[in-house]
Amino acid sequence: MEKPSARLTSTNRPFFEGCNEGELRLQRCLSPSCGQYVYYPRVCCPHCGGGELGWEPASGRGVVVSYSRVHRPQHDSFLPEAPYYFIAVRLHEGPLLFSRLQAEGPVQEAGLIGRQVRAVFVPHNPGQRLAFFTLV
Amino acid sequence: MTGKYADRVAIIGVGQTPYEKRSQKTVHRVLWEALDAALRSAGLPMRRVDGLAVTAFVLPPDNVTTVAEHFGLEPRWLFQGLYGGASGIISMLHAARAIQAGDADVVACLTADVFDVASHMDLMDRFNAPVRDYLGPYGFGGPNGIFALHTRLYMERHGARREDFGKLVIAQRANALLNPNALFKVPLSMNDYLNARLIAEPLRLYDCVLPCTGGDCVILARPDLAPRGGPQVRLLAGGEMHNFPVEDVFALRGGWERFRDRMWAHAGYGPTEMDFVQLYDDYPVMEFVQLEGLGYAPFGGAVELIRKRDTTVRGDLPINTGGGQLSAGQAGASGGMIGVVEAVQQLRGEAGARQLPARRGLVAGYGMVAYGRGLSCSAAVLGLED
Repeated sequence: MEKPSARLTSTNRPFFEGCNEGELRLQRCLSPSCGQYVYYPRVCCPHCGGGELGWEPASGRGVVVSYSRVHRPQHDSFLPEAPYYFIAVRLHEGPLLFSRLQAEGPVQEAGLIGRQVRAVFVPHNPGQRLAFFTLV
Repeated sequence: MTGKYADRVAIIGVGQTPYEKRSQKTVHRVLWEALDAALRSAGLPMRRVDGLAVTAFVLPPDNVTTVAEHFGLEPRWLFQGLYGGASGIISMLHAARAIQAGDADVVACLTADVFDVASHMDLMDRFNAPVRDYLGPYGFGGPNGIFALHTRLYMERHGARREDFGKLVIAQRANALLNPNALFKVPLSMNDYLNARLIAEPLRLYDCVLPCTGGDCVILARPDLAPRGGPQVRLLAGGEMHNFPVEDVFALRGGWERFRDRMWAHAGYGPTEMDFVQLYDDYPVMEFVQLEGLGYAPFGGAVELIRKRDTTVRGDLPINTGGGQLSAGQAGASGGMIGVVEAVQQLRGEAGARQLPARRGLVAGYGMVAYGRGLSCSAAVLGLED
């Protein structure tokens, strides 16, 4: 059963192409007085309002901000994997990203918030991989 | 003082349809039934309505303008709520400004939706682009998954236990037993609450609303258009705020703190002078956040407040006196008007078995779930004419 997909646009396509190539990419504001990283992909910098953004390879590193073990997915295509961990990650570069925790075996929840993670690229739908995160 | 509602805009009618778990009705029919009920309570015919505000998530591809056409109205003022569950209150605030300016005389503020659990989850998977593109593909679990993240953080940062959320939920259920239109009809024990079906940890079944079908409506007008001799309910003050704080999705704060001082100053009353508080209860954690943002407790202090206070209708801090969405049901966008309807019914003396000696109260709204949180906040102070 096909999973829900992002709608690809000229704004976000580089992110999803990066996932297929095994690389986490982020936009970065090209304004010399800003230079902050941006996610989710946007048409302008939400920090300074600038209209010029470029794409850069990102470290793929971050820390867990919060987590939830999801038992009732919002779409039936995820039922075979449930329960699984839905997480919020503060990327090393600054932005907040939502994803999944890729773990072998049970997860130690105590102290999970603040743990370091790194991106791994997993199959999603045919022709599209997504970035999940694994504990470092 | 600029900005307050001159002569205190009147709420002259209130209506709510029966809430249903499954319905064959169209959203237009539910909207109409809510409007009809409110007009009857105002003693006004449909043709007197010259302003219309509508919020309904399943309305597209239609909109407030086509609803006006469907209903045979000729409005000179229109509003459509795009602020999720904050819209019901925001529609009243904007309507009040129109009435204050003379741009409209009689405004119907309407919310309705047609939902069951499956259709609601389907909408939430593609509610807007950030949800569709950056949450949905990861199996986020809908708003349940998002607010599970917030609940986890609130517990870790402020020491809340599940029993604290449970106490509030259980008190609301007790209130709901006095509300004939609430979908939940049996008391809830702490054991039931703590051991209910897992949804998205730490959230279990009774932390989550039941999507349903229903509609809610209030009629706003100049005070001189209120039926003579009837209850004189006034909109005293209010506010809205969006995407706050911009820099932190997980601040566990919402926009209420940005406008609450101005709102209380305009109202001429403070939090402790409210006879009831109708909070937006999509999730218990957001009720705690609202109590803090609206001035009932310092940041993180709602835990102690809820532990100490009795939030049932007979208690010392009545919260969601009709049961709230968690016990009455969430009829989509009407989740943002159910508290207003309950507040107005209390002030009009129409709250039946759950009637309080109420002269004034607070209502709050929240919603437009997008990238990890609801973007919009609202609140209003309502009261009887002094």
